[in-house]
Amino acid sequence: MTGSQFGLFGTDPWWLVILKVVAIFVMLVLITLFTIWWERRVVSRMQHRIGPNRTGPFGLLQSLMDGIKLALKEEIIPKTAHMAVYWLAPVISATMAFLAFAVIPFGPTVSIFGVETPLQLTDFPVSVLYVLAIASIGIYGIVLGGWASGSTYPLLGGLRSSAQMISYEIAMGLSFVAVFLYAGSMSTSQIVAEQETVWFAVILLPSFLIYCTAMVGETNRAPFDLPEAEGELVGGFHTEYSSLKFALFFLAEYINMVTVSAMATTLFLGGWRAPWPLSLWAGANEGWWPMLWWLVKVQIFIFVFIWLRGTLPRMRYDQFMKFGWKVLIPVSIVWIMIVSVARLLRNEGSFSATEILVAGAALIVLLLAVSWVAQSRQDRRDRKLADAEAAAQARGFDPMAGSYPVPPLPGQTFTYTSRRAMAQGTTIVQDPAAEVADDGRDSNA
Amino acid sequence: MSPLLASVGAETETAFTMPSINYYAIAPILILFGAAVVSVLVEAFVPQRGRRPVQLVIVVGSIVAALAVTIDLRGTRLVTGEGAIAVDGPTLLMWGALLVIGLLGALLMAERSIDPLGDAFAPRASALPGSEDEQEFTRRGFLQTEVWPFLLFALTGMLVFVASNDLLVMFVALEVMSLPLYLLAGMARRRRLLSQEAALKYFLLGAFSSAFFLYGAAMLYGFSGSVSLVAISDTLSAKTGEGSLVAIGIALLMVGLLFKVAAVPFHQWTPDVYQGAPTPVTGFMAATVKIAAFGALLRVLYVSLGGLRWDWEPMLWIIAALTMLVGSVVAITQTDIKRMLAYSSIAQAGFILVGVVAASPQGLASALFYLVAYAFTTIGTFAVITMVRDASGEATHLSKWAGLGKKSPVVAAVFSLFMLSLAGIPLTSGFVGKFGVFAAAIDSGNTWLVIVGVVASVIAAFFYVRVIVLMYFSDPTPDTASVVIPSAFTTIALTASAVMTIALGVFPQWLLDIITQAGVFIR
Amino acid sequence: MNVYTPILVLGLLAFGFAAFSVAAATVTGPKRYNRAKYDAYECGIEPTPQPIGGGRFPVKYYLTAMLFIVFDIEIVFLYPWAVAFDQLALFGLIEMFLFIITVLVVYAYVWRRRGLEWD
Repeated sequence: MTGSQFGLFGTDPWWLVILKVVAIFVMLVLITLFTIWWERRVVSRMQHRIGPNRTGPFGLLQSLMDGIKLALKEEIIPKTAHMAVYWLAPVISATMAFLAFAVIPFGPTVSIFGVETPLQLTDFPVSVLYVLAIASIGIYGIVLGGWASGSTYPLLGGLRSSAQMISYEIAMGLSFVAVFLYAGSMSTSQIVAEQETVWFAVILLPSFLIYCTAMVGETNRAPFDLPEAEGELVGGFHTEYSSLKFALFFLAEYINMVTVSAMATTLFLGGWRAPWPLSLWAGANEGWWPMLWWLVKVQIFIFVFIWLRGTLPRMRYDQFMKFGWKVLIPVSIVWIMIVSVARLLRNEGSFSATEILVAGAALIVLLLAVSWVAQSRQDRRDRKLADAEAAAQARGFDPMAGSYPVPPLPGQTFTYTSRRAMAQGTTIVQDPAAEVADDGRDSNA
Repeated sequence: MSPLLASVGAETETAFTMPSINYYAIAPILILFGAAVVSVLVEAFVPQRGRRPVQLVIVVGSIVAALAVTIDLRGTRLVTGEGAIAVDGPTLLMWGALLVIGLLGALLMAERSIDPLGDAFAPRASALPGSEDEQEFTRRGFLQTEVWPFLLFALTGMLVFVASNDLLVMFVALEVMSLPLYLLAGMARRRRLLSQEAALKYFLLGAFSSAFFLYGAAMLYGFSGSVSLVAISDTLSAKTGEGSLVAIGIALLMVGLLFKVAAVPFHQWTPDVYQGAPTPVTGFMAATVKIAAFGALLRVLYVSLGGLRWDWEPMLWIIAALTMLVGSVVAITQTDIKRMLAYSSIAQAGFILVGVVAASPQGLASALFYLVAYAFTTIGTFAVITMVRDASGEATHLSKWAGLGKKSPVVAAVFSLFMLSLAGIPLTSGFVGKFGVFAAAIDSGNTWLVIVGVVASVIAAFFYVRVIVLMYFSDPTPDTASVVIPSAFTTIALTASAVMTIALGVFPQWLLDIITQAGVFIR
Repeated sequence: MNVYTPILVLGLLAFGFAAFSVAAATVTGPKRYNRAKYDAYECGIEPTPQPIGGGRFPVKYYLTAMLFIVFDIEIVFLYPWAVAFDQLALFGLIEMFLFIITVLVVYAYVWRRRGLEWD
């Protein structure tokens, strides 16, 4: 024991560390069980159903029973699976999900059995970076799980999943920059301390909104749950997983949901700090009370997750990627530039931060308008191309092309061709698409 | 430092000192880099048909501007960017040479009237060779205008490479210079599979050698606690006798640099890449990479490792001797003129290494002269090769050059001039260069290396002269290629290199004076 | 105690739990052999033969991966700058803007060349 490296962190005695670790572990498992039940009840209400209400009071034990049931089910491992990786993937997913919680602050310094200690497992100067790193390793679980199943749907689901998660991870990473800029630190406890007067969600609203969007994409939740799009990919990367291995993926998904909610709370909503009317009471930010505020804030986020799932239809994959790459990323980057200028001018004292941020918001709206116009022009051009192609197909529509007659598709018109003419192969298919394509741009990227 | 920047930054508790940068001294680098960025934007926003002229204006304009600044900087001798960039005589000389050769290379790459299908590059390098898409792109006359930003990025990297005064900047420059070249090598319009193979080989081996370089830099950092060349040198003289880390570090660093100059045994990539790459790119690359890589090698050896010359000299003796002999001997057996020139370039690297090993101001001066002379001759040689064609494209097989002297006497004469210069015959620039490095080597007592060098020169003269004999003393066959009349682009590049080859051979004094004034590397 | 030690403890507990669950699944469930059950699931049709290691992936994913690296490295540079922003002040701002704009140039190029389109 060489004393503290970072505030009170790293000074806990060993028994306290074990106590905290077990507490976090149990809390996460309980929150997961509760969230699954809560999600089913809320979605049921939204759909005029009742939801699970038999097992335990209000059906609260339903998820636990489901877990036990899963454990007692037969485990089916496809014979094409790559065994070692197939076993490893759920373990990676679940372990990393738990690990990310190590740096989440639940409350201020309290006294546990006479030892002064922060309500947080540990913290260090780069703890947010640590969360991002752990989340990235978590993606391995999904990709490897999809790949190791040796089956088509999981492979596609895993690939999609990874493409989606890395795309939204960029937006997520960029939304943190403004927070670090204002907090001057990457440590979670420091960031919470910096939000004593005003929450970052208020002064950095665009960052907060970007983060909220990115976190839904990052956790593969509706409306961004494309990796598990049942209509296209069956179950996505975990199609071939059953029994407790499937349960681990399920657990990891829900813990990740809690983690991103907790990160949103920590970075933008003042962490464990009491919200405004409560904060007037002096004792609200002391002792064990803050843990309650923290839990309420996290639960609000989780409710929003459920709400989204109950309300919105799933996005199309190309729209989803387009949204990530063409809206979230450029807006984040421009926003970072605006925030840094605002911060600098505020430090210099020449302008008030509000003036600059308002101007910045106007700039972003302008930028979005410009990009929307550019995009719609491109879309129009693409549509023209597609129309031309369809017209070409329609002109050359041949009901006997597939050796047995088929009706024309929408956009195709049936023209009568004599059998003899067809047998001689006189149907000429022109290709006007080629003329439209050369509009000064390249058709291959 | 600008006064605007100086006013802030000192008020906070953690003192942050701003790096002092002499922006004018590094202006050539900044101009080229800025132009490269603009040129990427042109690729993004200018319509397909307008890109080529705009790019040409940007490329030629920025190179000329950078050249003007370089000439204006003559006599500058300073270290800027907190010791990262050294702008001194040799740097400026190499900048000038790189920019002039870069300009000639750009002219060769701009040539469109030689190949009936367009320029030397595939219409879309991403299209599958031989596919319908590719034919469609060719038919529509698409051009891969990305070659221009690549050219500018490569040149930027080279300028930084020869000026870098610490190993980290040198590594970054190495990458900036290499990556565009890997891509350019894979863009030939004809024989695309060969070209793509060349690009992949160049990339894989180049990435490997970069890793060696980085590992060596890490070792030297571990030894001295700094990546600055001067600091490493100081630590070397302060801590003698702790050799193993340094020895490993230097050896790994040398692997990285000797790969770029194509010295034996790190030369295997050369023939494939020279043959596969589009010929204008081969000419540009052969000339400029040689200058840049030798510039960096000389700086590392003279500035940083001068105190250890007894350790690295024997290693370089062997490498120089091997490079000269292997390059010359293997070139004899080649039947493809581009491959033959590739081995010739390996042999030439060996001759330049003789000047490097001399480890004296005279050796430095002779190596610099050799580099400039060789660069002009090389780019001229490849300019001629682009013009000698048959129905399938460039006629690179030697048998097709038989009797070319009777069909096209002027071009054959110019090519013979370049061959004689490469062989080191008096009244050409090659002779002055070879004489310089051998004289420097004898002065530093490396007589036996000079003997090896002379033997290698004689062997090399055989295959250079063989091409001349083939062109003049055999009759044209039906297979003999014909010479296409190029547009002004190639004509200017060819004329300039031919004039320089003769000028440096007959009146070498002016360049020697410039080199003498340039002096040695700043410490 | 090191600030990183608690992470190790939590990691060991989580890994132990996950490993235990994965291993327990083979013991707790029944085993009823059926040849078709152990085939890869493909909605009832004969499964498509898979090449060893999954075969080749569409080049689109590589493009996404490379773009991800470009932007992730940008983020890696942005973080320390953001943390030290008040010390670096105007100099840091100008330097970082030059960097961001350079990345945006590449971004514009990729966008215009339709590198950000999925279908």
